[in-house]
Amino acid sequence: MQMVRGQKTPLSNLTPSTTVEVGVRLPTSAGVTIDVSCFGLDAEGKLSDERYFIFYNQRVSPCGGVTSQGAKGGDQEVFGVDLSRLPPTIKRLVFTAAIDGAGSMSDLQPGALRVLADGREVASFSLKGGDFGNEKAIMIADLYFKDVWRFAANGQGFNGGLGALLAHFGGQEAKGPAAPPTPTHAVPVPPPQKVNLGKVTLEKRGSRQVVDLKKGGAGSGQIHVNLNWDAPPQKPGLFGGLFNTTPEKPDLDLGCMYQMADGTRGVIQPLGGNFGSRHAPPYILLDKDDRSGASSDGENLYITRPDLIDRVMIFALIYEGAASFATVNGRMTIRRPEGEIEIRMDAPDPSQTFCSVCLIERKGDQLSFTKEEHYFLGHEYADKHYGFGFRWKAGQK
Amino acid sequence: MAISLTKGGNVSLSKEAPGITKMTIGLGWDVRATDGGGFDLDASVFLLGANGKVRTSSDFIFYNNLRSSDGSVEHTGDNTTGAGEGDDESVKVDLTRVPADVQKIVVAVTIHDAEARRQNFGGVSNAFVRVINADGNKEVARYDLSEDASIETAMVFGELYRNNNEWKFRAIGQGFAGGLGPLARSFGVEV
Repeated sequence: MQMVRGQKTPLSNLTPSTTVEVGVRLPTSAGVTIDVSCFGLDAEGKLSDERYFIFYNQRVSPCGGVTSQGAKGGDQEVFGVDLSRLPPTIKRLVFTAAIDGAGSMSDLQPGALRVLADGREVASFSLKGGDFGNEKAIMIADLYFKDVWRFAANGQGFNGGLGALLAHFGGQEAKGPAAPPTPTHAVPVPPPQKVNLGKVTLEKRGSRQVVDLKKGGAGSGQIHVNLNWDAPPQKPGLFGGLFNTTPEKPDLDLGCMYQMADGTRGVIQPLGGNFGSRHAPPYILLDKDDRSGASSDGENLYITRPDLIDRVMIFALIYEGAASFATVNGRMTIRRPEGEIEIRMDAPDPSQTFCSVCLIERKGDQLSFTKEEHYFLGHEYADKHYGFGFRWKAGQK
Repeated sequence: MAISLTKGGNVSLSKEAPGITKMTIGLGWDVRATDGGGFDLDASVFLLGANGKVRTSSDFIFYNNLRSSDGSVEHTGDNTTGAGEGDDESVKVDLTRVPADVQKIVVAVTIHDAEARRQNFGGVSNAFVRVINADGNKEVARYDLSEDASIETAMVFGELYRNNNEWKFRAIGQGFAGGLGPLARSFGVEV
């Protein structure tokens, strides 16, 4: 049976057997890694027993009813399922896919989840990138018990990745001995805090600070974004003392992709000389691009009318020089009348040259600042992730 | 104790709620828990004659025509998100004002812009329809669509119908291909 998104059927329509295999094949564009997992949930749809999170590092459920068999027969992951062995507390098996690192489900090549009985395909649910937007983790399909065992093609997910998925299932990361070593960035977003004043450091990816725009009257309180970095320490080399070489200070660029409440969008960055304006739309100004390294205060960007934005994604870009985020100790300081927010780029990916550092979003009178720190190969990939929808062509500074 | 109906099941309102004249038909669904476009579900009502068609276009009650000309049926308004507890959209029915030539009052729900948003009822959680007696606000009957909701984008949830001088409510759970336009046309509305 070819299933489409949203379709449900009693399993008995597919096979009389309660022993099936579920195979997942989700090819992606190069460089995108997808982890396929199975969650065994209780009647409330929660992961009340974390031993029922079956994935590459926990391959068998305690009852033996779900096993991860790895790649097999063209599928990148095959789960063996024996429904009769599941304890009565497990009412639903959700087969999921999550992207580790950059990219989103819109990057998927055509793939499928298949249900096999006695080695024969009895149901297939096709998926492709066009089915998705910015989701990083999806629930592909469910085997669930409601009077009888049933199968549903789901195909919905979360932009927040595995962390958001775990939060949806009420699970927690890194708890107990059997806890999965899920990627450290997959931290569920904590509830927005309304703390103001003083300096706040957004420690983890996804952590967020919310401020109220109304505080000083609409429009008041510009946002000042500063990007700063260090020259990498000089390696004591054999000729270090002889030639008195100073390593070139690496050049980091600050910029942003923005979408205003009125729908206009654009990119502010030194590349192409798009410095914006402080007094005219978009009321975002990049004040200079100091390539000499002489400036001690890094690069600065001002958002003078935060009440007019929808969202602004602030990014850092590395061009040349010592040229890896891993060596420059990049940090961003965001100053508002209420206080400072600091974001350190402390999980750098040396192979990527573009980093989305902070996402500023306005919802009504509230501004939220979220630490992103996702690394991409370039603008286009980041845009794809955030869904601004720009047209890109190659450019040079 | 409200009667819980399964697909196709019916209940006699005059037996379950003797003397019932005014009622609210409540419709509900859960707001989308995942990311992506939200579900905007729209309830609509059709007053049908014995031939299964509307008598006039004004018998089609929906977000742009919230009240039947005789005042027997009133749609309380569009909810575009499904946010909040309880009924997301509701329709008030006054049986005493239903014209004698109306045999059936059909309640349907369509997913707004379903094709463009690539949505169907399979993605909507916990959809239900229920009949509440306005006298005492007591639930008389309820139908949870659950497993009956799958790839449909338009769905007849239930209907009130005359049967030997009494009103009954039936759980329908019948999908319909296409959106609100084709559904309305099938009931004889010129759209």
